[in-house]
Amino acid sequence: MATIQSNQAPTAGALELTPELARKRRSQGRIILDRFLRNRVAVGGLVVLLLMVLAAIFAPFISHYDPDQYNIALQTAPPSAAHILGNDDLGRDELTRLLYGARTSLTIGITSMLVMVAIGVLVGAVAGFYGGWIDNLLMRITDGFLAVPFLIWLFTVAGIFSNGSVKDIVIIIAVFSWPITARIVRGEFLGLKEREFLLAARTLGASDARLMFWHILPNAIGPITVVATLGVGQNIIAESILSFFGFGLQKPTSSWGTMLNDSQAYITSAPILVWAPGIAILITVLCFNLIGDGMRDALDPYMTER
Amino acid sequence: MGKLLEVKDLKVQFRTREGAIHAVDGISFELEEGEALGIVGESGSGKSVTSLSILRLLPMPPAEIVDGSITFADQELLELSESEMRKIRGHEIAMIFQDPMTSLNPVLTVERQIIEPIQLHLGLNRSEAHARARALLEAVGIPDPERRLRSYPHQFSGGMRQRVMIAIAIAANPKLLIADEPTTALDVTVQAQILELINRLRRDLGTSVILITHDLGVVAGMTDRINVMYAGKIAETANTDELFANPRHPYTLGLLSAVPRLDEEAGGDLNTIPGSPPDQLHPIEGCPFQPRCPFVLPKCKDYPPALRVGPNHIAYCWVDVTDPAEQERAIARGFIPLREIGGLRQGSPASTGTGSPSNG
Amino acid sequence: MRRYVIRRLIQAVAMLFVMSIVFFLLIHAIPGGPDRVLFNPKLPPSVRIQLRIQYGLDQPLYIQYWNWISHVLQGNFGDSFVDHQPVMSDIGARAPATIELFVVGLLFALVVAILLGVFSAVRQYSLTDYVVTVLTYFGIAMPVFFFGLVLQEIFAVQLGWFPDLGRASVDQTGFTALEVFEDYALHLVLPVFMFSLLFIAGWSRYLRSSMLDVVKQDYIRTARAKGLSSRIVFFRHALRNALIPLVTQVAIDFGGIAAGAVITETIFAWPGMGQLFLSSLTNRDYPVILAMLTFITASVIIANLIADVLYGVIDPRIRFS
Repeated sequence: MATIQSNQAPTAGALELTPELARKRRSQGRIILDRFLRNRVAVGGLVVLLLMVLAAIFAPFISHYDPDQYNIALQTAPPSAAHILGNDDLGRDELTRLLYGARTSLTIGITSMLVMVAIGVLVGAVAGFYGGWIDNLLMRITDGFLAVPFLIWLFTVAGIFSNGSVKDIVIIIAVFSWPITARIVRGEFLGLKEREFLLAARTLGASDARLMFWHILPNAIGPITVVATLGVGQNIIAESILSFFGFGLQKPTSSWGTMLNDSQAYITSAPILVWAPGIAILITVLCFNLIGDGMRDALDPYMTER
Repeated sequence: MGKLLEVKDLKVQFRTREGAIHAVDGISFELEEGEALGIVGESGSGKSVTSLSILRLLPMPPAEIVDGSITFADQELLELSESEMRKIRGHEIAMIFQDPMTSLNPVLTVERQIIEPIQLHLGLNRSEAHARARALLEAVGIPDPERRLRSYPHQFSGGMRQRVMIAIAIAANPKLLIADEPTTALDVTVQAQILELINRLRRDLGTSVILITHDLGVVAGMTDRINVMYAGKIAETANTDELFANPRHPYTLGLLSAVPRLDEEAGGDLNTIPGSPPDQLHPIEGCPFQPRCPFVLPKCKDYPPALRVGPNHIAYCWVDVTDPAEQERAIARGFIPLREIGGLRQGSPASTGTGSPSNG
Repeated sequence: MRRYVIRRLIQAVAMLFVMSIVFFLLIHAIPGGPDRVLFNPKLPPSVRIQLRIQYGLDQPLYIQYWNWISHVLQGNFGDSFVDHQPVMSDIGARAPATIELFVVGLLFALVVAILLGVFSAVRQYSLTDYVVTVLTYFGIAMPVFFFGLVLQEIFAVQLGWFPDLGRASVDQTGFTALEVFEDYALHLVLPVFMFSLLFIAGWSRYLRSSMLDVVKQDYIRTARAKGLSSRIVFFRHALRNALIPLVTQVAIDFGGIAAGAVITETIFAWPGMGQLFLSSLTNRDYPVILAMLTFITASVIIANLIADVLYGVIDPRIRFS
């Protein structure tokens, strides 16, 4: 939903890496970082997110229960001192499952974002750098991907091809989420490729790949970071939707989305089983969005003046 | 002739994170009915803020009218409610802005934009308002008004748009017309036409005019009086003829030598006032022109008293700039006396205004 | 302008044609092919071969595509593998429900988003603005299906204010016309809320910043200098300009809206096309999947086309150039 503003900001012709220019560039990053850190809401999002990541990583130290340990006696048991968030329909400890579910959801969100950015940057860079028929072809392909709604692609392809593994879901989400990134990167490349520092590098005999990824790409890193951050949240929601509707992860793998799928029948008798994973998704995505918006504002201070 | 507008000790500040900007710093002036007043100064001198204060159109916050009074036709404008003020805007006092390219709404037809003040203030019905809008376009010199009414702003040239702006401004027969840099954004050839139009309308309608500009060449031939503003204060005020003939403030001298003239030799540098405009976030003690003034004296650290040059002529300066000894001192600091750059011209430089300087 | 519309129209048709090939190949790339879906494994091989010939599945793919597309162009998407009815009649039976949800939800989202956006822009930095901003952040981050589940549980199951499932009561006998209308309306409330949440949040935030941009423009000062009331300044002079970029945003989000309808229909058992789409995927009902994909893509492309034209209509700078 968020529209990503292209960043016309500074980062000028930074790339003949003389020590002085390198220092200037570092201080540029420093300024942006300072601006980000002054944004209390974004920093709050970052802190909450880091806590969640740590909780996911150190899940075995936080909860000594086994996330897959059935306990018939405790089926849909309400929260108690021993089980803070109660137990699910098979008597498994809900808090433990939430912590291990976080591992799956975050892993899928982050890895699918990485693949998404990789494809998007490659396509966008090649299109923007070479222009002409290559650009035209790649952009028509991008249009084709965008002609079908993201979630409809996911439902269709996951529904007919996926075996429900984490790998499948990551690939499917990545394959259909890159076009926005590609468009943004292309826009940045179109704007940057005529700049003098490139001409200088070209006359020195730099290869196309070197020009693209060593000279131009660093200048577009700001907007890419913003789409990447917002992309994690978007992809986490995508996974949860797929899993909730039964097109995503298959047992025994579980994520917040499959937890919601498992528990929806108990929404009246054991509402916490629905609320806990739902709110976990909400908060995680909110954190990624706040951080992404904070970075965008830090990169483009004129937007925040409003 | 009665007094139409009286501004008294007006102080306007802008609140910023770094502190208050003293945009207008205690200015006073009067305007008679039918009179034309020029307010001249560099950008940032407070001239536009003054005019926006009269209409109370400044964004508040950050702007704040700290002190002073603005009396218009015996009403204290600063004490009116917002809805009473709306009856003044566009009706009693109308305004023309600097950039006609951005001052008209791009998605509304010209007719819609002209009719608004007519219907609002004159209470005419749709067809009467349409007829008046048509007549107004004709009056401001737009050909084929019937068709042009249905056009959108982007279909007009800059000069034509400014004519539309003028038509909107005079739509409800205002008593006072404020023109804020009405020609700055226009081509030189169009500038003269627009000034001529304002002059003619003023004559025909008997409207008082405040003309705001950074260019002394524009006010010559247009106005009866001139306030020269610097750093939110009035530096010098005089009848137009008197100001050109007998400028008494070093800043006015600087402005006069900055007026480009047709008789100047081609390739000659435009005279500009050296130094940068004042920092109104950190105003200096005493006369704000000190850092740029070739006549500067130690006592300029205190704000100068009014130097009454003539009955209607006041300059705020410690120095008598006509004193040859003072001039010698200033020349030593790079001051170029006006007589050496071609002498003073009475009235209008050749490029602007065809109307003769009137005496009200 | 006319030439531009015609060019965009041709592009749209070409895109749709290419996408139909992509969909066709995608469906036929399913492991095991249609055989697995269509035929009972217990059937004797001779019967299966006969059925293959009957469905044209023995032909090369390009012939199959040709057969399919030439029928599609005559409005025939074939018969469902599941209920053996013509796909078009299945879709036709479900279209009214989806259109109802879509139109009401979209209008609701637009009206609320515009009101919230204008309101928080006019009262920038007020408490209302702050509350609206916080809510939009939550709305954008909300997993929609979870929101739907919660709405359903609270307002239908717990409070009983609205029905929890379906488009209308199963039994409407003895209802007056007004009661029938009321029945439909009550069923619509929760799905519309769920459907529109994300877009209310996104669009109101978008409109807010667009309004804040516009009110800084010179022509707004001109309007105020005429003595117009702030209501007229905001709604006649500012809103018109602020809505222009929103049109593009709505078009960009159209695909998301369509996906939102699919999810909403499934949560609330709304008997529309979205439900049909998901069940056709589960059943691997080829003709229905193909028809639905074609249909959704066509509507996305048409929506973008309309947005482009609409953009010209509301922005005279484009209309007359």
